[in-house]
Amino acid sequence: MKEMKYDVVVVGAGIAGPIVARNVAKSGYSVLLIDKKPAIGTPKQCAEGISIKVFEKYDIPYDKRFINREIYGAKLYSPSGYELELRYKEASGVILERKVFDKMLAYYAAKAGADVLARTEALDVIRKDGRIAGIKAKHEDETVEIHADVIVAADGVESTIARKAGINTYAPPHEFDSSYEYEMLIEGYDPDLIHLWFGNEVAPRGYVWVFPKDEDRANVGIGINSDNPQTAKYYLDKWLKENNIPAKKILEVNVGVVPVGGFVKELVKDNILVVGDAARQVNPMHGGGMAEAMEAGTIASKWIVKALEEEDLALLRNYTTEWWETDGERLQKVLKVRKVTEKLSDEDLDLFIQILSGADAEKIAGGDYGEVIKALLKHPKVILSPRRIKLLRELL
Amino acid sequence: MPEKIKVIVNEDRCYLCGGCAGVCPTLAIEVHSSGWEFLQDKCISCRICISACPVGALSAEPLEVSE
Ligand SMILES: Cc1cc2nc3c(=O)[nH]c(=O)nc-3n(C[C@H](O)[C@H](O)[C@H](O)COP(=O)(O)OP(=O)(O)OC[C@H]3O[C@@H](n4cnc5c(N)ncnc54)[C@H](O)[C@@H]3O)c2cc1C
Ligand code: SF4
Ligand code: SF4
Repeated sequence: MKEMKYDVVVVGAGIAGPIVARNVAKSGYSVLLIDKKPAIGTPKQCAEGISIKVFEKYDIPYDKRFINREIYGAKLYSPSGYELELRYKEASGVILERKVFDKMLAYYAAKAGADVLARTEALDVIRKDGRIAGIKAKHEDETVEIHADVIVAADGVESTIARKAGINTYAPPHEFDSSYEYEMLIEGYDPDLIHLWFGNEVAPRGYVWVFPKDEDRANVGIGINSDNPQTAKYYLDKWLKENNIPAKKILEVNVGVVPVGGFVKELVKDNILVVGDAARQVNPMHGGGMAEAMEAGTIASKWIVKALEEEDLALLRNYTTEWWETDGERLQKVLKVRKVTEKLSDEDLDLFIQILSGADAEKIAGGDYGEVIKALLKHPKVILSPRRIKLLRELL
Repeated sequence: MPEKIKVIVNEDRCYLCGGCAGVCPTLAIEVHSSGWEFLQDKCISCRICISACPVGALSAEPLEVSE
C-alpha cells in the first residue's frame, strides 16, 4: 500500500475543490486534489450557465477554450405562453464547456503547485487517536493512504466523504431537484438568451431550460422536485413532444440531482471542511451552484491558509461563521422566496409574467424585489385575490 | 413500519450520476467510478432514492426475511 503526506487533501475536482486547491497551493502549502473520474469534468452534469462576473471575482482566466457562448439575458415563458424578456446591452453570462472548464480549474490548481490525481476515489477517512488523519483512496487497483492535516470534502451531491467524516449533510427529500438534460440540436430560439419555461404541468417546482451553446445547439433540460412520483426524464420528454421539438439529434444525455436547500449548518468538524454541493451550497431558486461553490471555496481556502500559518486548526471554524454571515444569509433568503413561489398556481404564473416588465425582471434578477412586489400588490388583478396578496406579502 | 425492501438498479438505465447516493439518508448507496453499490444492512426502506432518480433506474423488491 502506498502512503502519502500533504498539508491538505481535497476530495473532488468539480468547481469547489480546484478553487480550494489552487488558493491553498498558491500560499505555499502542499495540496493533493483527487477525483474519481478518469477524465476530470467528464461526464458533465450541468447546463453550463454562469454569470460573467465570476471570472474577475474568482481570478479565473476568461479563456475561449471553455466559453461556448456569451449570453445577453433571459426569456421567461408562462404556462399559457406569455413571455417576459430581459436583455442587456452587454454580455451578462456565459455558457461554459464544463468538461474543459473543470479540467482547466484543476490545471490552474496544478500550476499553482498542487498535485492532482484523476481516477482516484476516496473510499473512507482514516481515523487515528480519535481524529481524522487522512483519506483512504483507490487508484486503479491500488489502495492509497493520504495523510493530511486538513481534509476538504468537495465531493459534490453525494457528499459521501463529508458524511463518513461525521459532518451532517442530510437534507430532506423535498430539498433536492432531479434533473435531466439533452445536449441537442434545436432551432427557433434566440441563441443570445437563455430560455426558461414555468408551469406546474411543465416542470413541477422547477423549470425547463434551453441554454444555447451554438446557433442551433443547446442544453435542453429540466429540474423538478425530486420527491415527485414521476421522473425528470418523463417531464422533459413530454415537454419536447408537446412542443413538437424533434429529439432526434441528441449529442449527450446528462443526469443529476441538485441540492436546493437544507444548507449544512456546521461546515467544519475538527480538521474537515465541506464545500459546494456537498455542503448543499446551491441557489434554491434556480439550482445553479457553480458560483456558490466558488464563493464557499474562496472562504474555506482563506481560513485553511490562516489555520496553517498560525498552526491553529481551531481557526478553520471561522469558515462556517463567515459563510453563514455572507452567502448563507443570502441563500437563506432565496430559499424563503422559493418556498413562496412553489405555491404559485399556473394562473398566478401567467398573471405575473404578463404584468411584469423587463425592468421589473431586472430588479428581481438583481435581488431587489421588494419594490416590484410593492408595485404588484397595487395591481387590480392582485388586489382582487386575497390569496395572491398573502403570497406576495410573505415575500416582503 | 414500511415494508422492508431491497433496492435494485437497472444498469442499462443508470448514468452513475450519484444522485441516489446523495439523497439516501443512511449512506446505503455508493456510486463508485466502477459501478453502483447497495448496502442492504444500512437501508431503512424509505424509498427516497427511488423517486429521486432522474431516469427511473431504481426499483424496489420486497426483502425476503430469512426465518
Ligand atoms: C443537470 C444539471 C444542470 C445544472 N446546471 C447548472 C448551471 O447551469 N449553472 C450552475 O451554476 N450550476 C448548475 N448545476 C449545479 C452545478 O453543476 C453544481 O452546483 C456544481 O458543479 C457544484 O460544484 P462542486 O464542486 O460542489 O461539485 P461537483 O462539480 O459535483 O464536483 C464533485 C466532484 O467530486 C468527485 N467525487 C465525488 N465523490 C468522490 C470520491 N469519493 N472520491 C473522489 N472524487 C469524488 C466527482 O467525480 C466530481 O468531479 C447543474 C446541475 C445539474 C445536475
Ligand atoms: S440516481 Fe439513478 S442514474 Fe443516478 S446513480 Fe442513482 S440510479 Fe443511477
Ligand atoms: S430506500 Fe432509503 S435508505 Fe434505502 S437505499 Fe434508498 S434512500 Fe437509502
